[in-house]
Amino acid sequence: MKKLSLTAAILATTAMATPSFADGHLRIVDEPLELTIQMNHARYPIYEEDWPVEQVARELTGIHLKNDTVGANMRTDENTGRTEALNLMLAGGAIPDIVGSSRIRDFVNQYGPEGAFIPLNDLIAEHAPNIAAYYATRPDIEAAVKASDGQMYYIPYLPDGKYGRAYWIRTDWLDALGLEMPETVDEYEAVLRAFKTQDPNGNGLDDEVPFFARQWPELIRLVTLWDGRAHGSDTYHDFLVEDGKIGHGYLGEGYRDGIANLARWYSDGLIDAEIFTRGSSARDFLLSENLGGSTHDWFASTSGYNRLSSEIDGFEFKAFAPPASPSGRRIEEHRRILVKPDGWAIGHTNEHVVETIKYFDFWFTEEGRRLANFGVEGQHYDMVDGKPIFKQEFLDAGPVNRSLYQVGSQLQGRGYFQDYNYEIQWSNEFALEGIALYDEGDYLIPDFLGVAFTADEQKVYDRTWGTIRDFMLERQQSWILGSGDVMADWDGYIAQLDSMGMQELLEVMQSAYDRQYGG
Amino acid sequence: MVDRNTGIGGTPVEEVVVEASEALRDRAKSYTPDSSWARTVDHFKREWQLYVMLAPTIIWFLVFLYKPMYGLQIAFKDYSIFRGVANSPWVGLEHFQVLFSNDQFIRAVWNTIKISALNLIFGFPAPIILALMFNEILHATFKKTAQTIVYLPHFISSVIIAGIVITAFAPTGGIVNIILGWFGVDSIYFLTRPEWFRPIFVGTGIWQEAGFGSIVFLAAIAGVNPSLYESAVVDGANRWQMMWKITIPSILPTILIMLIIRIGNIMEVSFELVILLYQPATYETADVVNTWIYRQGLQSGQYDLAAAAGLFNALVAFVLVMTANTLSRRYSQTSLW
Amino acid sequence: MAGVNLSGITKRYGAVQVVHGIDLDVDEKEFVVLVGPSGCGKSTTLRMIAGLEEISEGDLEIDGRRMNRVAPKDRDVAMVFQNYALYPHLNVADNMAFGLRIRRMPKDEIATTIAETAAILGLTDYLERRPADLSGGQRQRVAMGRAIVRHPKVFLFDEPLSNLDAKLRTQMRAEIKRLHNRLGVTSVYVTHDQVEAMTLADRIVVMNDGRIEQVGTPMELFNNPANTFVAGFLGSPPMNQMKARLTETGAQVGGSEIQLGRPMNGHAGRDVIIGIRPEHVTLQPGDQTTALPISLDLVEPLGSEALLHARFGESEVVFKAETHGNIAHLQGVTEVHVPAPLVKVFDAETGLALSLER
Repeated sequence: MKKLSLTAAILATTAMATPSFADGHLRIVDEPLELTIQMNHARYPIYEEDWPVEQVARELTGIHLKNDTVGANMRTDENTGRTEALNLMLAGGAIPDIVGSSRIRDFVNQYGPEGAFIPLNDLIAEHAPNIAAYYATRPDIEAAVKASDGQMYYIPYLPDGKYGRAYWIRTDWLDALGLEMPETVDEYEAVLRAFKTQDPNGNGLDDEVPFFARQWPELIRLVTLWDGRAHGSDTYHDFLVEDGKIGHGYLGEGYRDGIANLARWYSDGLIDAEIFTRGSSARDFLLSENLGGSTHDWFASTSGYNRLSSEIDGFEFKAFAPPASPSGRRIEEHRRILVKPDGWAIGHTNEHVVETIKYFDFWFTEEGRRLANFGVEGQHYDMVDGKPIFKQEFLDAGPVNRSLYQVGSQLQGRGYFQDYNYEIQWSNEFALEGIALYDEGDYLIPDFLGVAFTADEQKVYDRTWGTIRDFMLERQQSWILGSGDVMADWDGYIAQLDSMGMQELLEVMQSAYDRQYGG
Repeated sequence: MVDRNTGIGGTPVEEVVVEASEALRDRAKSYTPDSSWARTVDHFKREWQLYVMLAPTIIWFLVFLYKPMYGLQIAFKDYSIFRGVANSPWVGLEHFQVLFSNDQFIRAVWNTIKISALNLIFGFPAPIILALMFNEILHATFKKTAQTIVYLPHFISSVIIAGIVITAFAPTGGIVNIILGWFGVDSIYFLTRPEWFRPIFVGTGIWQEAGFGSIVFLAAIAGVNPSLYESAVVDGANRWQMMWKITIPSILPTILIMLIIRIGNIMEVSFELVILLYQPATYETADVVNTWIYRQGLQSGQYDLAAAAGLFNALVAFVLVMTANTLSRRYSQTSLW
Repeated sequence: MAGVNLSGITKRYGAVQVVHGIDLDVDEKEFVVLVGPSGCGKSTTLRMIAGLEEISEGDLEIDGRRMNRVAPKDRDVAMVFQNYALYPHLNVADNMAFGLRIRRMPKDEIATTIAETAAILGLTDYLERRPADLSGGQRQRVAMGRAIVRHPKVFLFDEPLSNLDAKLRTQMRAEIKRLHNRLGVTSVYVTHDQVEAMTLADRIVVMNDGRIEQVGTPMELFNNPANTFVAGFLGSPPMNQMKARLTETGAQVGGSEIQLGRPMNGHAGRDVIIGIRPEHVTLQPGDQTTALPISLDLVEPLGSEALLHARFGESEVVFKAETHGNIAHLQGVTEVHVPAPLVKVFDAETGLALSLER
């Protein structure tokens, strides 16, 4: 119903939308030019030609994108669905003029050098002043986008805003038990223990789940409370970079100590007994059943659970600053990554390469960026004091990011630079309060932005990484579950990793990293 | 049982054969084509309906079985989707070397075989036993209801099945642990315990498929001549004796054929269910070839490696099915081919 | 006394009654054949004796014991099935031994019994074969062997020869008869073939529509059928039956009058059916014969005899005549001669035989 009414609203306002800025300075071609596009994403399986955003872009630039998506699907599995359509497209033999997708980086970096996609370095320098200007300010991002041959093969989606996940806690439970907000890991442990033993939900049952997580790797993230490291980027179990050196969290002594402590927490019942199998409904179930005490999860979506205060008396779920480790460090390991492996590329059979790169550049102009972030002026937002402000009826029409997908903006299969202002306008007070808290403390640490391998490096990576990762995860879970003692097993574990080629893998990663970012 | 000597309409078989061969001879006489080409054209003119009926099967085989075989060569190539099967360079047995130098792959092979063996030992007899039990239910409505109930899990998607299993075996509030609690057993986090994975997985498979699998055996039982049972009743056999001496021997050929087919699928552990149920903590017993391929090969686009592992799977299955078929033919005169 | 006594045996399937109260006493060592068209209830009756069907009403006694509620295995009967019911996965010896093993007879005894029975049936060379490797006749013998080895009080045969071709059937018929003479076991035999019934039975029970029409020795039934049904069922070809009206001297059929050679005792004017057996007529007039004018349709030579298909008035009739090695003389036949004493008279309405006595 919501979708219907939204569509109706758009139709009703289309007539009024007279593009005030249609003075032609953004026009790329005199005669309308049609380019074909493949764009598959879990939330918008094909490129809709009647998206209002596409209509406006068409008017401004003269370039029409024609949907030519192969293998459209809506599976959200990060590991299969997202590149399945790309593989099908490639296997089919015909590559459209433009290919946009999530998880496109590894794909174009493998097949671009083989000739499937057009290298973009020269094109950007000559024809894309806005993109070039952006990269001039962010050489790290430019480096991250490049393939092993030094060429860029796609224009990325660049998220804005720094914060992703935070620590959350039932502050009303703290109050009920007369506890303070935990500032150190020891205090945090004491709070969780109190949650476990002092019946904060007051139902007389020992049913509280002090710490829970929708994704069990978030539990591993807690090793940062003991100066360990877990995930080096927004990809779980990823490598990390510290002072230009590639490493891996699961090799550190802080990780070892953290796991030992987490195993203790687990056996003491401070961690959800079903942490590994509870799955994505954990947060929804444990919060609405008044059972869950604390988690590590996204600002925007988690703050929304405060609506439960209408059902659970006094319910208040707030973000708190990362507790300090024994050595006094406070870090928040998770952050919004600077550059996503999502975006769009130019297929090798494109006959209008220059027009296409100009079109890509359009989305980095002020008008293009606003279009990509906020939709169409007059339809979805109005300019107030020089800032785009969403119309109230648009904010009321359901989840804003979904509404934006439905009009063709905020597409991660499009290369654009996100504007965090779009999200602030519909984030709730608890999220904003939490973000402010995290801003004060400056807890974030640099992300590993990934590397592009040469064919030989790729072979080493393919041969070793999967095996190593599986082994590390196996050990990790069994330590936490109490079968095996991490302190006793540690030396054997490290030796085993070395025999699986860990050092070789790190060397390869390092050389790729140096090539990409060092020079 | 129809008398062998009474072929069509009470005419002895020999007569029918003689008549047919005479008819053929007559036809051969009346058609005397001057060349083999003419004879072929003539043959197609006469029998084209047969070929039309045959065509869908042949096309199906060509398109879905023989043509994909062409792609098997990527197991020996450094395959790139963009370059295509033909243009990717040969690398010989490199992928196989990668596979067999990987301890996790070897472990996955053994896990596959162990899970399949358990499946065979416990999962294969289950539908037969179920079918025999259904056969003993005399009350028609009760029988229908019971059958429907045990068929149902087959139609539930693996994702839901996995959800049910995870919930049932959950350490807090899972039905299994609640029941164990009544007997004073401490709650067990089953799905993270390597030693429990195989029993749970095989048990789930039986629960899901035994009912549906019993259909083929029920059909075989329905085909047993009822007078065999009547004769046995008069001879004094009880129901137990009838089951052992009549029902089971009568459906033995069906059982053997199903067994051979099953052995042919021994490397095909239903891997969606494994993926949904396993954890890194249970890789030790749960990781099978297909899940390993999925993690190592398909996740990182290594189709060539996946093809090599798949080829190895097929080879093992082929050897097993050949062996089973030969043994079955030798000892029970029943075989697939 | 291993006899079988049925009194008031009834079979009902829900509201449908298929056997309507059968009374029958089978004496020890007697060979009784139940015969009748399909659906007459003869097989159901046999299966009730075997215990394969429940008896809805009435009493069944075997050897003087009431058997209604006794399990089949405790009735001490053996049954031979129409399709032999041989176990395809067992060889001949094991098939025959099946019942004995179930009864836990010692192994050596089983072996002896099987050997003896196989010798009687001529199966000694086939003991290791499976049913699929036997001919129809051999399978039939195995089926009988399986019944014989049990030494039951009663043999029950359910159309055992109907799956065999004509030649084998004749041969096996004789074998069954010989076997019975030799073993002397009470037997109840069901068939729809009146030739089998005539040749095998000590007594025949003709059944129709769930009821017994007549019980008697083959010759009694042949010579004195109790009604038109029995008359029409037994004999090959069956008795010619014609509507007629009795006069003081005989029976008026179509335009002719057939002499009956007996006093009418006041039955004159009654509507009857008269029956003439095909083999009772002659081509030459004889003692007490009436000439029957016929128009000949067809002559079917059978060898020493021939069948004359003809029309008499409204009726189709069939007669038998000697050929003496030639059928030429039969082509021109225009009349046959009916001997008065052999003409049967039945009531037109009830179909029951009339003695014409007071």
